[in-house]
Amino acid sequence: MAKVKKKRVGFVIDMTPLVDITFLLLTFFMFTAKFKSEAESQQKFTIQRPKVTPDTTTIPQNDLAVIKVAIDSVTGDTNYYYELTNETDRAKVWGSVEGLTPEQRQLLQLKVSKEVLSELVRNTRIVRPNTKFAIDADRRLRFQWIQDAMDILRRQQATKFTFVTEKTGM
Amino acid sequence: MAGGGEALGSGGQKVKRGKSKRKAKKRIGFRIDMTPLVDITFLLLTFFMLTTTMAAPQIMEMSVPPEQEEVEVAQSQLLQFFVRDDGAIFYSIGADTPEKIDPKNLKQIREISVRENMKPENLNKLIVALYTSGEAPYGLVVTILDELNRAEAIIVDNLKKEIDPQTGKPKERQRRFTIAPMLPDQVELIKGL
Repeated sequence: MAKVKKKRVGFVIDMTPLVDITFLLLTFFMFTAKFKSEAESQQKFTIQRPKVTPDTTTIPQNDLAVIKVAIDSVTGDTNYYYELTNETDRAKVWGSVEGLTPEQRQLLQLKVSKEVLSELVRNTRIVRPNTKFAIDADRRLRFQWIQDAMDILRRQQATKFTFVTEKTGM
Repeated sequence: MAGGGEALGSGGQKVKRGKSKRKAKKRIGFRIDMTPLVDITFLLLTFFMLTTTMAAPQIMEMSVPPEQEEVEVAQSQLLQFFVRDDGAIFYSIGADTPEKIDPKNLKQIREISVRENMKPENLNKLIVALYTSGEAPYGLVVTILDELNRAEAIIVDNLKKEIDPQTGKPKERQRRFTIAPMLPDQVELIKGL
């Protein structure tokens, strides 16, 4: 009887290689993870970016002004949004525009009309003339929305800007 | 702890030879149950794998002419692309009648652009213009821009191989491109095609 008791039903596997590989992958994903920016976590839309041939360009990180044209995921309305990455510039620019509520001045990105957008772009150019402009628009939209945004930039002498796109095959 | 005790007792090893069999069985190494570690690691791994977005956004550079500028161009050195309300794409070289581009074969845009730009009389002189209707989807316009950009890469590549006989250096490329909303007479031009 004693002998039967000693026999094991379970078995032991050496998990060391498994742990090695898992840690390796974990470290990789932890380092490559890029979390949503604060502005992105505030917004109620996701932008389906237009697809282009993959290349090595990346979106600039500093002194960037993004004009977003997005479809609200709840109401389905299209709106312009304006985001500035530079915090001190943002405070100045937001402060220089009339008709914003104190709560709106705290926001990282503003939902704007075309007129306000034009004013924001102008004030951004005054505060920091070398701000880089980007248009981040949904690929399903009519081109008129983007055309209008481009005209606003052009009128404020911001003739060089970028379209935010996405790699194909993803 | 067990190992420490063993080391202390090693002095008496020779005396108690009879028990050497038991000693060999004792291990210096030890085992840790790694299961909880693996559990947590897998959990974190799954989390990071699912939350990472591999498709980092790219950018496409654009430049538009300043507002005041009105440039007169020779019709012969103009390659025009039109995007109609319904998304149909047309092209026209010089003053030719616009021709339709197969929507399934947008590579044609690249081929036309390379072909026309590489003509010796057009080199660095040809202006590529994209006229877009406001009703066309933005995604399509970017696809066309992408094709034109790829054509540009091919042109630059081709020019690098050519040596300018005067300077002895590879020929330089000056890109001439413009994007504009479609004019009413252009709308008429491609209406029935």
